[in-house]
Amino acid sequence: MTTTLEAPAPSRTTASAPRSTPRRRTRGGALARTGPSKYFAHAGVWLYVILLAAPLYYLLISAFKRNTDIFNQPFSPFTPLTLDNFGLAFSQASLGTALLNSAYITIGAEVLTLALAVPAAFALARAKGSLGQMVERIFALGFLIPGFAALVPTVLLSIAMHLFHTREFLILFLPASAMPLTVILLTQAMRAVPAELEESAVLDGAGPLRVLWSVYVPLAVPTLTVVAILNFLSFWNEYFFSLVIIGPEATLRTAQVALPTLSIANAAQYGVLAAGILITLIPAYLVYAVFAEKMENAVLAGALKG
Amino acid sequence: MTALSPDVVALRRRRSRRRSEMLQLSATLPALLWFLVFTIGPLVSLFYFSTVNWRGLIAPRTPAGFENFVRLAGDPVVWLATGNTILQLVVTLPIVVVGAFMIAYYLNLKPRGHRFVRALMFTPVLLSASALAMVFIGVFAPKGMINGFLEILGLEQLARPWLANGDSAMLSIIIVTIWCSMSVSAIMLAARLNSIDASVFEAAEIDGCGHFRRMWSIAWPMCREFVGVVTMLQFLWTLFSSAAVVLLLTKGGPGNATATLSFLVYDFAFNQSKVGYSQAVAVVLFVVGVVGILVIRRAFRQKY
Repeated sequence: MTTTLEAPAPSRTTASAPRSTPRRRTRGGALARTGPSKYFAHAGVWLYVILLAAPLYYLLISAFKRNTDIFNQPFSPFTPLTLDNFGLAFSQASLGTALLNSAYITIGAEVLTLALAVPAAFALARAKGSLGQMVERIFALGFLIPGFAALVPTVLLSIAMHLFHTREFLILFLPASAMPLTVILLTQAMRAVPAELEESAVLDGAGPLRVLWSVYVPLAVPTLTVVAILNFLSFWNEYFFSLVIIGPEATLRTAQVALPTLSIANAAQYGVLAAGILITLIPAYLVYAVFAEKMENAVLAGALKG
Repeated sequence: MTALSPDVVALRRRRSRRRSEMLQLSATLPALLWFLVFTIGPLVSLFYFSTVNWRGLIAPRTPAGFENFVRLAGDPVVWLATGNTILQLVVTLPIVVVGAFMIAYYLNLKPRGHRFVRALMFTPVLLSASALAMVFIGVFAPKGMINGFLEILGLEQLARPWLANGDSAMLSIIIVTIWCSMSVSAIMLAARLNSIDASVFEAAEIDGCGHFRRMWSIAWPMCREFVGVVTMLQFLWTLFSSAAVVLLLTKGGPGNATATLSFLVYDFAFNQSKVGYSQAVAVVLFVVGVVGILVIRRAFRQKY
């Protein structure tokens, strides 16, 4: 036992790049070698999987079912299927407009975030002095600030800026909440750029902007993707600030704010609501499908630095 | 110009280096400005607003000193919400952290089907707060998933309107919190476990260590600090973000049975026209958050 504890402690950074360990395994994985207790482990985890999957399964089949079938045969996938729920969800909550609003805010905020964070990370990565460290620490402090606590003052700020009940305030506000993580992750990525590359670019007559654009940005693309995915998820899924700042006005509200109105309009029909949930999930799922591997790294990176 | 002593040259060089550093760091100014205006500004003004008497966003405000905090201490709703928040934290944190750690250990043994399990566990990450709440409206509805399931089992007497019932409403909120956060924590912990050198576990196995001891006597202490990070995230999420779940599932009801502190911040300000008062609650919440982070960080400090 003591010998095992003296093994070198793995550094934290390795966690973000999980590597596969070559290990000989019997069929059924490492658990197969242990005694009967393994059945408890299998049973426990699969019970958890069922509990995790049940609401999702229920959501998925309900979206395609008629209301009476949801009540009478809640778990059967063999009832007549219908797509009516999707049409109703679209029209009752004007989801089309809402999705466009969400897309507008998400893309706007995403562009602004990167426009602010990339130069900052570039400067921080090259700064060698104590001042740079201080600035970096200020951003790191941002992790500890729970944005929700400042909900009301943020509303007041939007009023003071004459941007209350507008989507533009969210485009301005959301990048601030994403700034700490984006700047820190990008700084770390840019610090890994070899100094020789920059020197040779400078020798060729490149100015700072050119160095940033032609040397640093291309090399930071993997991290840029990671932060872009993380920010996309948090911007697209933002609920509370959109609710109180943009408000319930049907032409301006986001998809996440429009979605709950379906539950009020259809108190006794889960089908339409379920269809609405699936519709608002599609963009996130598309991103997940395309970037599955990257996305898991993104969520991990977010946690590791948090 | 006369020759300068080496000290002065060094000083000048340091100064000019400092100046060039400042010039370089000016690129961080826009990002810092954003951070200052939209994050620090609202946070600082929070403390001021907690000391005013203020009935609505457009109503005039009058200074109230610490009156709001005094009122807070004697408000039964606030105490009820504090109790609910503590209950939520005390139930959620151990279940999620310990449960997620065990699932992560299991996943890392790469048993059959672990890829499928991992993909499924990722789904709650994609759900927004409102989508999450809407999923569970169907689950807890009087004719929803749980009651439908109980009916199939022949246990109709256990069926109830889960969210409308004072006894089960808070339980329902806690279930939602656990459901959506356990899987994310498990995925993060699995990645951390994966970075532990496999030879550590092999050595333990040769020494006759079962999985149970390998999990709690080796893996847990080695991941201690990261478990702390996961606990911290879970703590913050439970404390703050569950307000949306409460708002959308129960609106704090029935009565005030599911009101939590973060829900009260919203409810006082936007539904009850007590803006100043709600900010006093927000200050309390913020302090609880900071203290909680410090306590968790201390408790999970790496021990070797």
